Amino acid sequence: MRIRAAGVAGALTLALLAAGCGGKSDDKGTAATDPSAKAATGELVIWADDKRAAALKPFADKFGTENGVTVKIQAISKDQQTTFVTASQQGSGPDVMVGAHDWIGNLVQNGAIDPVQLSDQQKSGIAGNALKAVTFNGQTYGVPYATENLALIRNTDLAPDSPATIEDLVATGQKLISQKKASEILCLQVGQTGDAYHLYPLYSSAGGYLFGTTANGDYDPKDLGVGTPASVNAFKKIAALGEKGNKTLKRSITSDNSISTFTGKKCAFLVSGPWAITDVKKAGIKYDITPVPPFAGGKPAQPFLGVQTFYVAAKGKNKALAQEFVTNYVTTPDLAVALYQAEPRPPALTAAFDQVKGTDPDLAKWQEAGKNAIPLPAIPEMAAIWDPFGKAEAAVVGGADPAKTIEAAGKTISGSINK
Amino acid sequence: MTTQLGGPATRALPAPEKKVAPEPRDRSLASQIIKITLLGLVVAIAIWASFPLIENKAWIGLALLAATTAALLYLYLTPRHIPAKYLAPGTLLLIVFQVFPVLYTASTAFTNYGDGHRGTKQEAVVAIQTASVTQVPGSIEYALSVATTGDPATGPLVFLITDPATRAVSAGDAGGLRKLDPADVTVTSAGKVTAADGYTVLTFGQASLRSKEITALAVPVDGGAIRSSGLSRAYEGKAGRVYDAGCDCVRDTTTGKTWTADGKVGAFVGEGGDRLAQGWKVSVGFSNFTRVVTDPDISGPFLRTLVWNFVFAIGSTGGTFVLGMLVAVSLHSKRVRGRNLYRVLLVLPYAMPAFAMLLVWRDMFNKDFGLINTFFGTDVDWLGQPATARIAVLLVQLWLGYPYMFLVTTGALQAIPAELSEASRIDGAGAWQSFRRIVLPLLMVALTPLLISSFAFNFNNFNAIYLTTEGGPFAPDNPANGATDLLITYTYRLAFGGSGAQYGYAAAISIFIFLIVGTISAIAFRRTRQQEEVYA
Amino acid sequence: MKWFKKVGWRHAVGVVAVVFSLGPILFVISAAVNPLGTLSSSQIVPSGISLDNFTKLLRDTDFGQWFLNSVIIAGTASAVAVFVSALAAYVFSRRRFRGRRTGLLSLLLIQMFPQFLAVVAIFLMFATITDYWPVIGFNTWWGLVLLYLGGALGVGTWLMKGFFDTVPRELDESATVDGAGHAQVFFRILLPLVAPVLAVTGLLAFISTINEFIFANIFLTDSSAKTLSVGLWGLVAAEQRNTNFGMFCAGTLLTAIPTVLVFQLLQRYIVEGLTSGAVKG
Repeated sequence: MRIRAAGVAGALTLALLAAGCGGKSDDKGTAATDPSAKAATGELVIWADDKRAAALKPFADKFGTENGVTVKIQAISKDQQTTFVTASQQGSGPDVMVGAHDWIGNLVQNGAIDPVQLSDQQKSGIAGNALKAVTFNGQTYGVPYATENLALIRNTDLAPDSPATIEDLVATGQKLISQKKASEILCLQVGQTGDAYHLYPLYSSAGGYLFGTTANGDYDPKDLGVGTPASVNAFKKIAALGEKGNKTLKRSITSDNSISTFTGKKCAFLVSGPWAITDVKKAGIKYDITPVPPFAGGKPAQPFLGVQTFYVAAKGKNKALAQEFVTNYVTTPDLAVALYQAEPRPPALTAAFDQVKGTDPDLAKWQEAGKNAIPLPAIPEMAAIWDPFGKAEAAVVGGADPAKTIEAAGKTISGSINK
Repeated sequence: MTTQLGGPATRALPAPEKKVAPEPRDRSLASQIIKITLLGLVVAIAIWASFPLIENKAWIGLALLAATTAALLYLYLTPRHIPAKYLAPGTLLLIVFQVFPVLYTASTAFTNYGDGHRGTKQEAVVAIQTASVTQVPGSIEYALSVATTGDPATGPLVFLITDPATRAVSAGDAGGLRKLDPADVTVTSAGKVTAADGYTVLTFGQASLRSKEITALAVPVDGGAIRSSGLSRAYEGKAGRVYDAGCDCVRDTTTGKTWTADGKVGAFVGEGGDRLAQGWKVSVGFSNFTRVVTDPDISGPFLRTLVWNFVFAIGSTGGTFVLGMLVAVSLHSKRVRGRNLYRVLLVLPYAMPAFAMLLVWRDMFNKDFGLINTFFGTDVDWLGQPATARIAVLLVQLWLGYPYMFLVTTGALQAIPAELSEASRIDGAGAWQSFRRIVLPLLMVALTPLLISSFAFNFNNFNAIYLTTEGGPFAPDNPANGATDLLITYTYRLAFGGSGAQYGYAAAISIFIFLIVGTISAIAFRRTRQQEEVYA
Repeated sequence: MKWFKKVGWRHAVGVVAVVFSLGPILFVISAAVNPLGTLSSSQIVPSGISLDNFTKLLRDTDFGQWFLNSVIIAGTASAVAVFVSALAAYVFSRRRFRGRRTGLLSLLLIQMFPQFLAVVAIFLMFATITDYWPVIGFNTWWGLVLLYLGGALGVGTWLMKGFFDTVPRELDESATVDGAGHAQVFFRILLPLVAPVLAVTGLLAFISTINEFIFANIFLTDSSAKTLSVGLWGLVAAEQRNTNFGMFCAGTLLTAIPTVLVFQLLQRYIVEGLTSGAVKG
């Protein structure tokens, strides 16, 4: 008994000592990762999510060796935007941040990013809509490298022809179900709390909008489209596709299972983005990519355009180097091509796009599907839309009264915008 | 914590941890050596920690460090203050890494801290001016080389810029721009200067070490200033908005419109009431608190949410406890073979990362594709109806949490001397009776505090809700408050769901929640006193 | 029938509980060995069996490094936490001093403050620490361990105090009469008696530390410094959820291994803990 006790106590004390001494005798390589160690050369710290961090690594190393600087890539696994803003504010943020363009409004109001000055030549090398997406209050706030938008991915074995309208799609889907070839009409993720991003093409085709635009084309937070009669009408059309309608949209199709339901051949149509293709290919499905079809007689179905962007952190320790990296290195096609190879999204640099489009026929199709796309609103007020709008969608799909639901959502949104 | 615990030592700065063995009264040689070694270690760490403080002239920090070290030395060298000796290590850590963050957070409840109001006014001004710098229309894009007239690490910086059309090279610094003789400079085909008489051209590596100076350098020219865009290009830019200390306002240089600083809201406000996006943090007194009380969005569903919150916390704690105890008691017998295997299998749910399993459970409850409906042949829209959604989250909590209670009860059962219950059985009590009369009360002594803390944990169990139902299902006409919302998830949505995070507001709501759950826990805690005194 | 009354029902409860516990885990296993590894739980029988997900996880990610980081961080933090907690629990149980009840209550109350709000303060604090003492700052194990140790006094202390309370006071009183000091009573008499609870607390601390996410996410940004929970989350973040779900499940299963090992290691203490002889000294 005593021996054992002594053993326990001894082990604990040892652990304790190890912990106490650890502060000093640091031999676990942590010193190498210590951000404030006096580096012999300038240091550039880049934050991205896990996937992009891995893809960026070789290029960052190359930039480092070519220019005699140290480049460190760090991956933030969750809440990238909040973490970036908070860390920047306390002076422990990165020099360069990689993220979606719709963060811009919030990053600007927190003074977390600096504008970049691109030469006219550089600007002309970037796809027009991508450049427009990163332009906020007349300033360019980052360098885009890839775009993404939703499209209709179709299993060509099940549905050889692309549907011209939603109604066509529903008819084909219903036929496949009656032939027992599929169990769902359409895989479009809704979930219990809805998904505004994936619904938007249908919503816009049915005549709804989120924010109006000012004279110069910027989004106008004072002109809220949710809760207007147009949005009520749009939601009536969506309700007809819902669980009490023809069951094209279902809450049981979620972000977790929409792609796997498609790859499991339970539905012939999937509304998703370039990220879904890896899985579709892995499952060995013959597919085609076409624009999301509109309602018959409706407006065109506009997906949102998302632009992956490199930002220069305003409170970075090495802004000159960060500017150099973002404006003069990210704008070269090599990097964009490599990032494309890590993840097949259309490059935003036209030179890079042209370079890879020959090997990947999908790219042109994504671009075609994104022809009508409108940039995701980057204004901070957009944050107030996602949640209530998604919930309204879920409720309407579940059979709730469209008018009452969308008006309540509009009230909630304008309430939180005006606070 | 309390004043008694550590005396002067309760105040600490983030120093390395101090581990000190308690002092044995018998002064055996071994324990003396251990004690002196550990105290020596404390002093050594304190000395190590003091150097950066001295270097940075952080005198307050240094004073705190010295006071803490002295207090610790005194504490462990005096024979008095025995409780404090045992509490000091944990208390120090607690104060630095928990009490301080909590107090800091609570203090933000009196500010407008949040997106758009995170920094100081100074920072906001810098951000506004930087964001307004645009290239002068029609101006030239220059190729840039950063150079110096002195040492590469310290010498004064000069921009060597090349006009791409004429290939004329100029040198610029804060004093202005002057042309250089083409004979004195070597220019690449791309227009970059690689060498110039009288100047040392910096490599990227050298230049990147002086990043701040390069970013700050603006070479004044007519109509604006030439600034660097990275290390290889320069442009002529002009600030569209400048801060004027005279009127404490920001002025647009083209339109002349002004926005005046408003210290009450922490923003520059224009005549029409429009605000510049970049604001700063100001104290707003109790307005976050009054907003909590007066906001109909909060007071409306508050009661309903509170009631469910209690049901959830009590249901989670009670359910896991009953099931965990049942299993623990069942397996607490030498006659049960394979107990080890049972135990390992039962602990598995607890060993899996909780967030991963929450996602898995969410999918299992799916109406059309979920395992539960498929397996039982039902067609229940589990997460789509208030009642079933509540059952579902409680079930998930039960699954996740009962291994914990099982473990704890198993441990507690071992600590109850077997003779006690055996003795009562000899006295003729049945198994159930002996459990109820002897084992259960003893278990409760050990576990009541734990149940209280489990209740407190579940009361604020953000992930359990957010990763499964996200608070839903929601009534069609009220997207702000759902059937399984806890106060904490509701707070989160209110404070972070709108346009940007509102930390000050969130902190204020948290303080209210804290008061509610704290009061209840404190009342429950008072009841443990009697138990404690009976068995202690 | 008599067997059932004595032992059988115990097995019945055990089996039912095991089934309940393992159901969802079977699904995870199924997804982990399913080469397509997608998240669609309508089937529990995988459409194929392969170890692709495991090999991919070990080859394409820094999983091994995450694993090591987690075990070291959680191991160190929980070992120290148990010790610190036991010290405090001892005086809370055995000594009567001013502020005792307040102290206990404060320990409980401080845990109730929502953690996600404290992130801002933690950033503020560790930005300063990183400037002064980089070896315990951001991106270091020690910094994170220290941060976790802030919670060393907490639920664990309560748990242990409860157990100390169940150990008869006469034991240490008689030892004191025999001339033992308070440290001797603690180290030689009480600690061995409460070995089971040390083991349980240690295990609980280990599990909660290894699963901790919020702070680990902001603290460790270098890929090689990440812990398991952060690394795994990164695998299924955003739209990659489907693509990497199989790998994620494989990782989840592997994550459980250290916990089960620690449990096995401590099982001895938990189970044997107090034999009837031990109480007598």
